Amino acid sequence: MSRFTDQAYLRTRLAIMGRNLLSREDLDELIELPLEELAAVSGFDAVPGDNNAIRLATFERTLMQTWLDELSALLRPLEGPARRLLTHWASRYEVLNIKALVRGKIGQLPIDEIEKSLFRLPGFLSLNHDQLLNTDNVVELLRQLQKTPYQRLATQALRRYEERPDPFLLDATLDQQFYGDLIDRSHHLSGTDRTEVLSLIGRIVDGHNLVWSLRYRYNYGLQAGEVLYLAIDGGRVLDRARLQELLHAESLADALRSLPPGLPGGGQLPQQITLIEAVMRQDLFAYAERAMRYSPSALTSVLSYLVLRYGGINALYAIVHARVYGLDEELLQWALDPLQQEAA
Amino acid sequence: MRAGADMRHITLKLMREDLPRAGLVLAELEAFAPDERPLLDSELPEIPGTAFRARIRRAWGYLDRLLALLDAPLTTQVPAAQPLQREELVAIEQWLEQAWNECGPSEDALHRLEDDFRELRHLEESLNDFADLDVDLSRLQAGEGLLDIRIGSIPADNLARLRDVLALSNHLILDVSDDGETLRIVIAGSRENASVLDSVLLAAAYQALEIPDSFDDNPEALRIELQTRRQTLERQCHDLRDSLKDWWESNREQLLHARALLEAAEPYAHLRGAARSRGILGVLQGWAPESRLAEVETRLTQKLSQPFLLESRRPRADERHLVPVPVKNKGILQPFSTLVQQYGVPRFGEFDPTLLFAVTFAGMFGMMFGDVGHGAVILLTGILLRRRLHSFTYLFVLAGASAMLFGWLYGSVFGVEHWLQPLWIAPMSDPIYMLTVALGWGVAFLTLGSTIAIINRLLADDQAAALFGPGGVLPLILYFALLGGLISLAQGHGFPVVASAVIVLTLVALIAYQWHSSDAPYGERVMITVIETYEIINGYATSSLSFLRVAAFSLNHVALSLAVFTLADTMGAVGHWIVIILGNVFVIVLEGFIVAIQTLRLEYYEGFSRYFYGDGKPFRPLRVGRGQTY
Repeated sequence: MSRFTDQAYLRTRLAIMGRNLLSREDLDELIELPLEELAAVSGFDAVPGDNNAIRLATFERTLMQTWLDELSALLRPLEGPARRLLTHWASRYEVLNIKALVRGKIGQLPIDEIEKSLFRLPGFLSLNHDQLLNTDNVVELLRQLQKTPYQRLATQALRRYEERPDPFLLDATLDQQFYGDLIDRSHHLSGTDRTEVLSLIGRIVDGHNLVWSLRYRYNYGLQAGEVLYLAIDGGRVLDRARLQELLHAESLADALRSLPPGLPGGGQLPQQITLIEAVMRQDLFAYAERAMRYSPSALTSVLSYLVLRYGGINALYAIVHARVYGLDEELLQWALDPLQQEAA
Repeated sequence: MRAGADMRHITLKLMREDLPRAGLVLAELEAFAPDERPLLDSELPEIPGTAFRARIRRAWGYLDRLLALLDAPLTTQVPAAQPLQREELVAIEQWLEQAWNECGPSEDALHRLEDDFRELRHLEESLNDFADLDVDLSRLQAGEGLLDIRIGSIPADNLARLRDVLALSNHLILDVSDDGETLRIVIAGSRENASVLDSVLLAAAYQALEIPDSFDDNPEALRIELQTRRQTLERQCHDLRDSLKDWWESNREQLLHARALLEAAEPYAHLRGAARSRGILGVLQGWAPESRLAEVETRLTQKLSQPFLLESRRPRADERHLVPVPVKNKGILQPFSTLVQQYGVPRFGEFDPTLLFAVTFAGMFGMMFGDVGHGAVILLTGILLRRRLHSFTYLFVLAGASAMLFGWLYGSVFGVEHWLQPLWIAPMSDPIYMLTVALGWGVAFLTLGSTIAIINRLLADDQAAALFGPGGVLPLILYFALLGGLISLAQGHGFPVVASAVIVLTLVALIAYQWHSSDAPYGERVMITVIETYEIINGYATSSLSFLRVAAFSLNHVALSLAVFTLADTMGAVGHWIVIILGNVFVIVLEGFIVAIQTLRLEYYEGFSRYFYGDGKPFRPLRVGRGQTY
């Protein structure tokens, strides 16, 4: 992606779209608004109906649709590997759908109940949800999935599930395949795009690997080797050897003492995994914000914007959701920014 | 010429019990697209058919799975003109559920058999791999000594990761045999780390190979054992398939009946929020072409048992973006309509470019490929291949006819320029004149495109874009001023002051607009303003020059023909005609193809990108049968 006009198009688009991003202060203001005002500002009041659960589901889909519309506008000048990379990034919504379907089938939820938690995606991303919903169990679901473009992912998941029907093992498989394919696609880019995109994705993978590896190892008690196998390749700091070193520690506290340099917090991470997750997320967002504005690769700026926008949309939805159901403000503040609350 | 000008918003007020029948009637006519907006939710708060839809969906789920399992697609169509009643639907769903409960276990059994077959194959192949080794595999697998050896299989994708992870715990993957998507592997390491190995192998979807006891001491017994195992599996598989076939034969008619009824119920199920009700009253709302309304009313009168009221109105200004636009043109315009849709669907009220596209496409193709003989070949090819080309026959005929017409104007027949007196000009006789004509055509084309763009934007209530956007009023004035100035300069009259003044004024206005509409940081804003303004000027300049290819290809056609004749003249009598024939085939196929692409490029990039939004909603009428998702 090097054409000057394409870069100009993307930069112009990003300059305009950048206004949609929500800062920490914006979120704080939203939290403090009365529900009516919040509904008006967020667009929730435009969702018709009396049933709040249905309205919230529609609202979530509307937000997701906004994200996809913006993605479509940003995809316009892109072609080849750059386009494939961003399209793959968008398919994370479908991966979330697959996870929701799997969890629904494990929990034997009614079809309508599972369907409410699914995102409706445009044709080029979407699976035939009806076919997947109309399955009797996880195994049948994964067999149906084997007949779709997610065949590789489904085959792995099916074999693992048949050996040990653990939902988290399936989640890990889905994430591993998703990020693995994303990194493969990044390697097809050239020049600055490749270096810059890999640096951004490396941070995402580092965050994912650190948080989930610690969770699997010290909360779920999985063996170090198994956790290592489930980790995603392509981290910026945490390669496999460093993760191994980390996972051989006796306890979470020991593991955190042996963190390699180069991670956020200068090796001084909090002792709770939820807080570690927040630190990694904060670091990723700070990096993405810089990359969106200053990266020499317009593609990386676009990807950074999509990462930030996704985070903003999630936060907005969480606020509306919490306020509609009357969740305590302090709890909501903690959910959105556990680090600040912990410090306070 | 305005897309969807015929579309009307319709409201059908009727008795609730007639809703399913009305849905079916409208679907049979294929003249109605549902509108799901809650326009009447205060008067008619209920959306009927929610439970009905859920049942239909479940019933389809059972039917689809049964058909996939039975591997017997229902090709026979059974007409079902009656809408499905609730009681019938309940009965069908229950029957299908029962049918699935009967057949479903066979699917699981078939999958288990598949797994057993795969395992057996791996076992046979693995034992074959190790047959020549003097090693007791069953003892190794049994776990004796300090060495921990595992023999089994993993998905091929997992090998690299497994190798890396096992290397960290000092395990080795010793042998790998390929079996498509699965790899047979041997892993060795210290028994101390057995639990580590177990956990990693579990995550890697590893399956251990079961080594029969007879492997080492009695190979013949093993061979017989494996053969017996295979025969047993084959027999079980055969029995299962037979029982499924029997079931299919005795229930085929009922499955056909169920499918026909479910298909007839689809239109009603697909109405969703477009159907509303309160008590015994119901309403259907959607979009339909005005030209079909009389037919819709007549058919409803014939089919509905209760009175109804059909109302229609023009779309309101705030609904313009929601109005679906029919995109299927019939007859000669059909292939051009398909090509327009490759770019996008016209918005409601937007200028529909199909006719203009057809005329200019044929015109430019003819001008670039003007030859009576070659045009006739293209025209005849279209007619001869009409069964394969379907509607694209018209495109071939039109392009061929246009090439023949320009061939006559150029006096060219199969590249020979002295058989026919040109009605206008032989391109090679005055290339500069040809280039000037092409440039003139480009200016006319771009002006027409910009005018349509301005009208489209005004219709879309986007005055700013109509004035300042690319192809808007000010850029067009700037273009004319530049053009006029350059023509005057070329004629030796210097650059007129008026033209200079207009250029400066329009540029200032455009820069001010770009500056005003961006709220980026200062530096970026300067860059955006400069680039956007430069793009407008550059866009017109390059687009105008782009049209020089129209003349260039007409010259190219003559040059290619000349090359063929020159080459033919160097041959003997037979060679001469072979080269002439092959050369002409080459010119028709290769040059014809390139010219078609170039014409399409000019239409898309210099035309559509200037004036065509292409983000309209296609009119997708309610239809009988499946294929409508909900």
